[in-house]
Amino acid sequence: MDKSRQVIVMYLITHLGLIFFLYPVDIISALSVGHWSAVLLGFMLHIALVAVYTKGLSYGAPQNVVDLFQGVGKAFAFVALLPLAVYFIVVIIITTRAYAEIATVIFLSDTPISTIMLLFLAVSTAISLTGIEAIFRTGMLIAILFFPFLLLVIVLSFQNADWHYMLPLMDRKTASLSFVYHPSFLKSLFAFVGGFLFLGFIPPDVPYRRGKIVKVSFALLPFFLISVYVPLMTFGENTSSRFPFPFIMAVDTVDISWLMFDRVTMFFMISLLCFVILFLSLVMWNTMLLLKRGFPAFRTKSAVLVLAGLVFVVCLLVPSWNTLEKMLWWNTLLRFYAALVIPLLTLAIGMRQRRKGAVRP
Amino acid sequence: MRKCVLRMALFASIVAWTPVLSGCWDIKDINHRSLPIVMGVKQVDRAYKVLLLIPEVSPSEAKAKIVSGSGNTINEILDEINKNMEYKVDLLHLKVIVFERSIAEKGLDQSVESFMRSKDIPNKTFTAISEGALEPLFEKLEASSGSGGTEVYDFFEKNAGWSPEVVQTRIWEVFRSMDSYTRDVVIPIIKPGRTTTIESPGGAVIKNGKMVGDINSEESLLYNLFKGSGTQGKIEVMDHATVKIVSDRLNTTSEMHAGQAVLNSRLHLKVTVVETVGTPTEAQIKKEIDKQLSMRFNGMLRSAQAKEADILGLGQLFRDEMSRADLQHWRSKYYPFMKINFKVHVVIQDEGLLKIDV
Repeated sequence: MDKSRQVIVMYLITHLGLIFFLYPVDIISALSVGHWSAVLLGFMLHIALVAVYTKGLSYGAPQNVVDLFQGVGKAFAFVALLPLAVYFIVVIIITTRAYAEIATVIFLSDTPISTIMLLFLAVSTAISLTGIEAIFRTGMLIAILFFPFLLLVIVLSFQNADWHYMLPLMDRKTASLSFVYHPSFLKSLFAFVGGFLFLGFIPPDVPYRRGKIVKVSFALLPFFLISVYVPLMTFGENTSSRFPFPFIMAVDTVDISWLMFDRVTMFFMISLLCFVILFLSLVMWNTMLLLKRGFPAFRTKSAVLVLAGLVFVVCLLVPSWNTLEKMLWWNTLLRFYAALVIPLLTLAIGMRQRRKGAVRP
Repeated sequence: MRKCVLRMALFASIVAWTPVLSGCWDIKDINHRSLPIVMGVKQVDRAYKVLLLIPEVSPSEAKAKIVSGSGNTINEILDEINKNMEYKVDLLHLKVIVFERSIAEKGLDQSVESFMRSKDIPNKTFTAISEGALEPLFEKLEASSGSGGTEVYDFFEKNAGWSPEVVQTRIWEVFRSMDSYTRDVVIPIIKPGRTTTIESPGGAVIKNGKMVGDINSEESLLYNLFKGSGTQGKIEVMDHATVKIVSDRLNTTSEMHAGQAVLNSRLHLKVTVVETVGTPTEAQIKKEIDKQLSMRFNGMLRSAQAKEADILGLGQLFRDEMSRADLQHWRSKYYPFMKINFKVHVVIQDEGLLKIDV
């Protein structure tokens, strides 16, 4: 059965969860004029990688990445996928810690961070224990519940927008693409990379059609642009570069006299935190799949619990937001491996397999 | 059997964790918090003084009380007040922050920045400047707090007592203007009223967080017009007629001629006649409106240009014609020499329930 719809929904909400918090601040600090070019560049890279990755997978269908890599050789698969597993674990750590911090900064100022992290990890571990199909069904449910609120808040966030702040559209410095080497721009790719790798892990359990995913990817572009341009249009470049969470600040300025919407930021935060919890459970499931195939001795359930416990302990050891930013930066190398090398390898292996398959009758 | 016991134990431990999952922590119930509505900030020499207007609502009556303290920083004072009060002070529902004029003239940067940084003060809190000392204003507010101290808030709130000559400025707008190259801001000035609770004689021109001048109520209307807040309902009194503005629309185009900024601005007004003196013709009324508003506008702009304070945010309109480096000098190099052609186009939508004799 074709489950493209579930995969599309999952793909959208994992990205939305990542876009609105950490992404705008990186883009805004990477360049001062013509932010759209940085967004567009990252986005094109994203689409290209998704296309390459899914193409490789479709050649080797219905196998998943692990099957494909192990088809080449056990040792090769182990060496090639181990960094990916490490990357996933680091992503879980960073995401849990970062979003717990965001929750305390924005609305739970008296709650200890450890409790919030425990909540995130407990829920996502529970979801990932139930298996990949349950994760996708939960994704559908969460999308139906929260997507309307999210869209409402996004529409409302334009309340204080001054379109003049979009200008000038370009200057010489931006046109020279010098921002590409800016650490913040490289960090901003976090939002593009984390979300699509799961596509290689779900077949054959959750089959989907490749073309649809690539097409739906384009629907994400407006959200990337909105996340950067709404704060820019509300505050201007000078002021929005002073905020750690520019989009949240911009949503905070929205004023609606209806008491229920006194602070629309809450609706926004809670929807996005749900998306992020789902993202966490998905990444956790990916990691488990990798570990299970790499070390067959593992028993899945206890391994997930051990992993969650480990992540929790590491999260507790991260003392501050600055450390977290540094971790995000250190992770860049692994991120490039996961984002560039894995899709290209997948394509290469897929093509090789197809050629072999074509020779054999 | 063993498995069953294990499961039961697991279930029990999961249930035991549920209180943690609620996310509530050290929660203080609403009856143990006090929620100030108005905060006043003044500076005496180098020390700050903060006044809080806290509503005390009981089933039988609604009144308010004033709590104050002084210290070196605003947060130190709030902490001190919190320590001495029987409730926890929760600024989550703070609605208006009133600065004393003297502190506005010295500079608001420090205090506005600390309000923006704070996690509990909403950044859409209204700001106001008190013309005289804060204490009489707060005493007046306390004395007339029939509805639990919300008077000042209602004064500014669009769906309550706001009128188009009153400027509405929120804390984030002040913060935005502090770093902006092209945009300054006007904060409404208030004082205790003679018969009403408060009066607003106009607004204070804030440039980079410092008060550099003031504008009157009539000019505040033009400020609101450029800001897009709407001027519906405002009454304009001229020599031969009094009209009420029904709707407004502003068209502006900007050009750059050899380093000289030129702005063409056309205001479309729809008005209805409320009162006439003598028998003016329609053309005469239109001409009078044009003359009155243009004169007022040019006067306001000239004084703002002299202070290099771009309160109307006109620099915004030139963003596509200047590089970022040039924009940085907008206030000093271009704005004071900007030429503006302001024209008013009036449509008399109706003449009330009486005809104008032609």
